[in-house]
Amino acid sequence: MKALMSVGALIGVVGLLLLVGMIFDIIPSNTVRLVEGYMPMQMLTELAFYVAGFAGLSYILASMGMAVPRFWQGIGFWAFILLYLKFRVYPPIPFSVRAMYGTVSLVAVFMWVSSNEEDWKKFKQPIMNVLDAQSGTNKMLRYMYLILLPLLIGGFSYNAMKPKSEEPIELRTVHPAPPASTKVHGKTYVLQTSQNPYRVNPEGKYDQEYTNANIVEQGMGRLMKPNANPWDDKNQGYLKYVREGGEIFFQNCHFCHGDNLNGRGLHAFAFNPIPANFTDPGTIAQLQETFIFWRVSKGGIGLPNEGFPWASVMPPWEQHLTVDEIWKVILFEYWHTGYYPRTWD
Amino acid sequence: MGLVTRKKLFSIMALCAMVGLLLLPIVMSLPSSAAGEEAPAADAAKKEGDKVEKGRDVYYKTEGIVVGAPAPKTTDGPKDYPRYNFESRVLLWFANQQHLYYGSFVLAVPIFCMVIEFMGVVTKDKALAKRYDQLAYDFIKISLTAYSLTAILGGILIFTFLTLYPAFFGYLSSIFRPVMHIYALMFVAESGTLYIYYYGWDKMKEGFLKWIHLSMSVVLNIIGTLLMFLANSWIGFMMSPAGVDEQGRFLGNIWHVIHTALWNPLNVHRILGNMAFGGGVVAAYAAYKFLASKTEEDRAHYDWMGYIAMALGVAFLIPLPFAGYWLMREVYAYRQQMGITLMGGLLAWLFIIQATMIGILFLSTNYYLWQALGRMRGAEKYQRYIKYLVFLLVCGFLVFITPHTMVMSPAELKAMGGQQHPVLGNYGVMSAKNGGINVIITTTVLSFVWYMRGNKVSTVSWSKFGNIFMGVFFACAYVNIIWLAIYGYYIPANVRVGLSVPQVATTLSCLFFMFALNGVMMKGAKQMGPIEWGKISARSQYALIMLATAFTWMMGLMGYIRSSVRLFWHVNEIMRDNSPWAYTHTVGFAANMISFNVLFFWVSILFVFWLGSLAAKKAPVEAKAGVPGGAPQPAGSH
Repeated sequence: MKALMSVGALIGVVGLLLLVGMIFDIIPSNTVRLVEGYMPMQMLTELAFYVAGFAGLSYILASMGMAVPRFWQGIGFWAFILLYLKFRVYPPIPFSVRAMYGTVSLVAVFMWVSSNEEDWKKFKQPIMNVLDAQSGTNKMLRYMYLILLPLLIGGFSYNAMKPKSEEPIELRTVHPAPPASTKVHGKTYVLQTSQNPYRVNPEGKYDQEYTNANIVEQGMGRLMKPNANPWDDKNQGYLKYVREGGEIFFQNCHFCHGDNLNGRGLHAFAFNPIPANFTDPGTIAQLQETFIFWRVSKGGIGLPNEGFPWASVMPPWEQHLTVDEIWKVILFEYWHTGYYPRTWD
Repeated sequence: MGLVTRKKLFSIMALCAMVGLLLLPIVMSLPSSAAGEEAPAADAAKKEGDKVEKGRDVYYKTEGIVVGAPAPKTTDGPKDYPRYNFESRVLLWFANQQHLYYGSFVLAVPIFCMVIEFMGVVTKDKALAKRYDQLAYDFIKISLTAYSLTAILGGILIFTFLTLYPAFFGYLSSIFRPVMHIYALMFVAESGTLYIYYYGWDKMKEGFLKWIHLSMSVVLNIIGTLLMFLANSWIGFMMSPAGVDEQGRFLGNIWHVIHTALWNPLNVHRILGNMAFGGGVVAAYAAYKFLASKTEEDRAHYDWMGYIAMALGVAFLIPLPFAGYWLMREVYAYRQQMGITLMGGLLAWLFIIQATMIGILFLSTNYYLWQALGRMRGAEKYQRYIKYLVFLLVCGFLVFITPHTMVMSPAELKAMGGQQHPVLGNYGVMSAKNGGINVIITTTVLSFVWYMRGNKVSTVSWSKFGNIFMGVFFACAYVNIIWLAIYGYYIPANVRVGLSVPQVATTLSCLFFMFALNGVMMKGAKQMGPIEWGKISARSQYALIMLATAFTWMMGLMGYIRSSVRLFWHVNEIMRDNSPWAYTHTVGFAANMISFNVLFFWVSILFVFWLGSLAAKKAPVEAKAGVPGGAPQPAGSH
């Protein structure tokens, strides 16, 4: 048990040293890389390691007669979470999300330190000691709090009320609800029922499963499926349309959406927000093809009221592309990212 | 004829009367469905020959003879939208929400009574049986006062509709005319049954008569559930109309109008939600009484009552997210536009608030159970591992509440390098959220298992193997849930939606299989000490109050979301809302309004509790029977 806890303690110490290095900018945050594709689980796993490390550290210190009081354990763990989110995770997490996470962590710390009476008493003890002020130090602390707390609250209030010149926070709706139907080049398309006419099997029939089987492998390498190379001239049907869509993409879209469709094109950083990243699971992977058809056709200017603050400079592509070209480019985007359009069957 | 026999006869007659009341609306409705709607249309068709106008059902796509007027095209003015100098929609919102709160409560409590009374009947321990019976009686007593208030609030709601939205209500009632009459008759049946059930309690407390009494509660609950289903058909029609043509003209098939795309998911979701809500309210009542108790006896009684109500509420809370998931799936399938407005667009932030509330519900439940370990001697061995459960719960919770659309300043947006955060953005989609909620629920199940074995040591010969098996089972469940959540990113969306089935199955197998195995292992187990009812921390009771408040707030929120997803339609795509209030409220205004409704409900229900306590003061001393002397056996666990 002790050996196990010692390993845990070692992990805890190393982890803390790394974090301190990141806080003081001695070690860049990406020294231990958040590996693309594994990042979400990596973050949770790192946190689990930290928890195990702290448990080991606490055990070893207690066995050495230097137990950390429960009060400081609780406060320390909460501070750790806040610092981890601020200095470890990159790119920076917006304050609103850190505030949510911080609040939940505070509740978690409370649940931990008050989960039984004994722990709760231990946690409360330093607070009660200061309030009772039986010793000189505690008395001094109490007076200090009496002065500091109103100052702190006053400071927060002042800061909250002070007029600011920062840009206001925007509650942007990334995917506004589409209309029930859209009219492009004189024809009305019902978004619920329309289909991409180029998503077809070798017999020329609409076939989602066949086309899904031919998209690139989704993973770190994004490899093409064997015998499914759209740039092979002999290909007909779906793969041929993917190639045509790719040509249209590289003639029109890649300047903003990027060669890898990740929203980092040549002109991307002239815009804020940068163009949509199709490789992210939260964009085209979440939507029906008809949604993309509507967005591409109507562009930023065609966003509904719900799309406030309409932060999209995408042109209404119906003015530059034919309907067929729009459908083909959508086909290419799904093929290249390895995502499947949303369906309900 | 002996006294007992006469009682039996009267009881059977009362039960038959109840069944008769239940069947009355159905019998009454038979002529209307046979001749009331379609027959005149058919007659008219014969008379007018070719002049019969046919329409196409907007949902079922079937053809039918037009028998109703088109949906009115309203205009903003005193004719269609008469008003005070106040937003009519807000008045309606208030009346509707209060009616729904009370309606849910009075439909849920009789189901609890049925379950608890049944437990009392089948329990062999006579003292415990008496306590269960008393508890069921206490519950129904609370709901009786609330019942009158529900009816009053229902009246207020109808008057509000009639006076502020006459055109809309006129249209709705023209379509649902027979359903509304059946509803009214069902209400009569519900009242009659409830009063016989309540006032017959003492007269039918032994033997065969008790079974008759129990059967009455079954009838009562069938009527209550049918009532709710009928009311759900109206909101189902408003969201996903069927049985009418594009102009909103009724096509003669009342079943199509009732059985809309969202009716069944709404029914299931509401019935579970009502039960969880009812459990929460009763648990809060018990917590309040516990905190106000002056004697050990009272504290013990209300501690036990709070536990039972919480356990029943949570039993229905656990499947609730799955029912909600089904409802959302059906909404997406019905209209992509509606689904995106809800979960990715205009109302997405309200869903983040909802996820937060769901998390609070589960966190409160777990916290209560950990506190409850404190009243068992011998449960200390589990307490030191609680911090790991906290970690699991909070990880699940953080994933569950991570928004897809983050609130940020343009500077933060730029620093992040795009709209989606490369790490946290992955938590914002459904696959991760399914994993998050299933981890939370599985951890709650684990907390329950710990609670059930808190003061016991298994004596079965295979206990060591059993414990290892349970540990491995839970570990595999976590791995499976998390693995499926990750796998969900690599498959088509329609398959991913189906992936929730094995995740839910994993969670539910933990629930049923582990509970069952634990029950077998703990049969005849050695008790390390008794459960000391009443000796629980005050914090646990605040957790119960938190649980109930979160339920109430969440119900208000979800009702608002469901209603506002219609945007500017009274009846989706059929009847447009042309009042000045056809816009969607800001998140802040909606949150304030929901909070006001919650506050009003709790203040008024405190009044109901107070009325209940007046009656209790007059009750004979023996009504307080069964304050635990030995170790009482909570629902299905000990």
